[in-house]
Amino acid sequence: MITDITLGQFFPGQSVIHRLDPRTKILGAIFYIVIVFLAKNVFSFLLLVAFTLFLVLLSRISPKVVLKGLKPLIIIIVFTAILNLFGKKGETPLISFWIINIYPEGIRYAIMIIIRVVCMLAGTSVILSYTTSPTAITEGIERLLSPLAVLHLPVHDFAMMMTIALRFIPTLIDETDKIMKAQTARGVDFSSGSLIRRAKALIPILIPLLFSAFRHAKDLSIAMECRCYRAGKGMTHMTTHRFGLRDYLSALVMCAFCAAVVLLNKYAPGFSL
Amino acid sequence: MNNDPFIKIENLNFAYGSGDEMSRPILKNINLTVEKGSFVAVLGHNGSGKSTLAKLLNMIESPVSGKITIAGMDITDPEMTEEMMIEIRRKIGMVFQDPDDQLVATIVEEDVAFGPENLGIEPKEIRRRVDEALKTVGMEQYATHAPHQLSGGQKQRIAIAGIIAMMPECIIFDESTAMLDPTGRKDVMDTILRLNKEHGITVMTITHNMEEAVYADRVIVINEGEIVLDGTPKEVFGNVEKLHSFGLDVPQVTELFYELNLSKCRLPSDVLTEKEGADVIARMVL
Amino acid sequence: MSKLSLENVTYRYSVGTPFCKTALDGVSVSFEENRVIGLIGHTGCGKSTLVQMLNGLLKPTEGRVFLDGKDIWENPKEISAVRYRVGLVFQYPEYQLFEETVRQDIAFGPTNMGLPQEEIDRRVEEAALFVGLEKETFDQSPFELSGGQKRRVAIAGVIAMGPEVLILDEPAAGLDPMGREEILGGVRSFQKEKKSTVIIVSHSMEDMASYADELVVMDHGKVARTGSCRDIFSDRDSLLGYGLDVPQITRFLIELNALGVPVRTDLFTVEDVRKELLRLYPSLAKGGKR
Repeated sequence: MITDITLGQFFPGQSVIHRLDPRTKILGAIFYIVIVFLAKNVFSFLLLVAFTLFLVLLSRISPKVVLKGLKPLIIIIVFTAILNLFGKKGETPLISFWIINIYPEGIRYAIMIIIRVVCMLAGTSVILSYTTSPTAITEGIERLLSPLAVLHLPVHDFAMMMTIALRFIPTLIDETDKIMKAQTARGVDFSSGSLIRRAKALIPILIPLLFSAFRHAKDLSIAMECRCYRAGKGMTHMTTHRFGLRDYLSALVMCAFCAAVVLLNKYAPGFSL
Repeated sequence: MNNDPFIKIENLNFAYGSGDEMSRPILKNINLTVEKGSFVAVLGHNGSGKSTLAKLLNMIESPVSGKITIAGMDITDPEMTEEMMIEIRRKIGMVFQDPDDQLVATIVEEDVAFGPENLGIEPKEIRRRVDEALKTVGMEQYATHAPHQLSGGQKQRIAIAGIIAMMPECIIFDESTAMLDPTGRKDVMDTILRLNKEHGITVMTITHNMEEAVYADRVIVINEGEIVLDGTPKEVFGNVEKLHSFGLDVPQVTELFYELNLSKCRLPSDVLTEKEGADVIARMVL
Repeated sequence: MSKLSLENVTYRYSVGTPFCKTALDGVSVSFEENRVIGLIGHTGCGKSTLVQMLNGLLKPTEGRVFLDGKDIWENPKEISAVRYRVGLVFQYPEYQLFEETVRQDIAFGPTNMGLPQEEIDRRVEEAALFVGLEKETFDQSPFELSGGQKRRVAIAGVIAMGPEVLILDEPAAGLDPMGREEILGGVRSFQKEKKSTVIIVSHSMEDMASYADELVVMDHGKVARTGSCRDIFSDRDSLLGYGLDVPQITRFLIELNALGVPVRTDLFTVEDVRKELLRLYPSLAKGGKR
């Protein structure tokens, strides 16, 4: 069923990571992705895995939850791994039959891809999406982009739009589900017939959905005006994040981690992947 | 309740459009004063003009003629500054029909903070108000939930908390219980009553549901854009025939007494609850 | 043989995920022909799941659904035929309107059924008559109508499919008293004329007392009670246990009884109570015994 999609991945908590400034976390997540792709040999990979585990523990989010979050992406992970397994050519094939040759390089590559993707997803989830409320993320983006407001770019409007979009996704999914069922009860068939027939079957869904979205937009804008909204003019925030010791320390930790990966890549002997 | 008028409406007329394009009148010559701390129910069938009244009070629409004064400020003054408008909207909060269309943020407490944030309140004070508002509506344990995990009645209470956090003097409930199930309706109704009785907030509910109007100090019935009845619930619901002709219901017990009186009984016409009704009948037959 | 029945039906949402929830738990219930059946229960009791089970929108996890004695899932390919025979009107059905004119929107279902044009036209007019839509609205856009009128267009759209069983989920929700009466009265006259089975999901005990012949009470994914309005409403205590109550007029009788007046407490419409009081105490009409 369409409503099964779990949204709002945020798990409220009080861990060190939860309490970081959202800006730190956004930049940290980007930095973290870069580091993941810097790792090149066995030692730097081991460090990467260890550091990711450290982050998971630090976030106090159950490793089970993190693993479950990876589940929907298993197909993509396996697919990329297989592509690399068969695609990478080396000198002497390890296994060879018909037109398929598997080289040791391919195996190494596949393993590397899996570790990279898993670490990247797990790491960024615990740094950002699991530990930061969507509103805080939007606030973080808004503040990171705030220098652009000088150029008259509507940074606040953009952030507000994102918040509202996040808020209304579950509502609209519910409504889509309801409208689909109602039209099915009126004899619409979404699952058979030619492509054109199926495309036509979407009209009875899309039009009511569009009307519904406009209705929500109109009513919400009135409600927001009644709650004294004036496009961010003079607006304060309940949870104001200021860069604190915590944020500087974590920046330091990330830099140290990056340096360690680079050094291990360079000086750790042999074992290059 | 003291006698200071909080809302004062004088000779108000409203129609959509302007000039030659003007629609038929939606509100006709409305005169109405709402006292501070009172609980007024505006009752009318769909399309009677009662919701337009709410839109006028919140400056979503402006009248064709007439004057509306809220807390001493003339809100129909065309020279009104933005600051004044914000101040009026802070003082007079609105809760609408569809709870989904009032919640902005993805986390309950962040949504409640939205109003105070717009008003530029200090973060510490916002935190305090949010906690208090959630407690007032009995939703403190849901502070970190996402709105879409809540029931309709719970969402509506969050919407109310979002208004309370702005520290309003009056709240207008525009069909706020129409989409709720009986439990949600009761929870919201209890919350409204508590805000009025314990927190001294002036309440105006706009509704077609007579069960809600029974709790009010005063019921105003609007039909075809005009005030046709105005009085205490007992006074208003006594007019069973009139209310039926306006497309409205009365409590079943009131209806029964009215029907019995048609059969030549001489029973009071202002009985609203089953308890009162039973007392009256028991006294007569025992 | 009953028209529509469920045999030991269980339904679970999101099987195999941590969100798995049993919405229906071993439900067996049957709906007889030629009557209005009220389906009542607290929010989350499984009513909405049950009605979707009845017209094949949801497939039972366990158990079977019978229409005229035939298992509707025997041949899954023919399930759309079942949906034509069992019409379902969802809550707030006005949000499913999409056609350019009222006529086209009501005709949408019958057109999907592949009926000939004259038959479609006939059915559209008949359905509009049942719900009290004026002919002038036929060529208007459904989006220009009032909320109550939109609701009637949507209900007419399902009635026009000529269902043998018509199910309505909270058809009067959010409407004012006049709108409620028009819709429920229209449904009642449809039932009378077609002698069909009509199932109405409702929260309003007062409406159920005046429009339903029988009631099915649900609680926690199970059918808790079935019976006539009299059976169900004369046992207030168990209704309270399901998070429901009796109509106000019945509460008045119970109150009166507690004060020592020997009235029966199994009446639930104003008219019946009026007659009963006048029968018991003709002196009331002369201003009491004083």
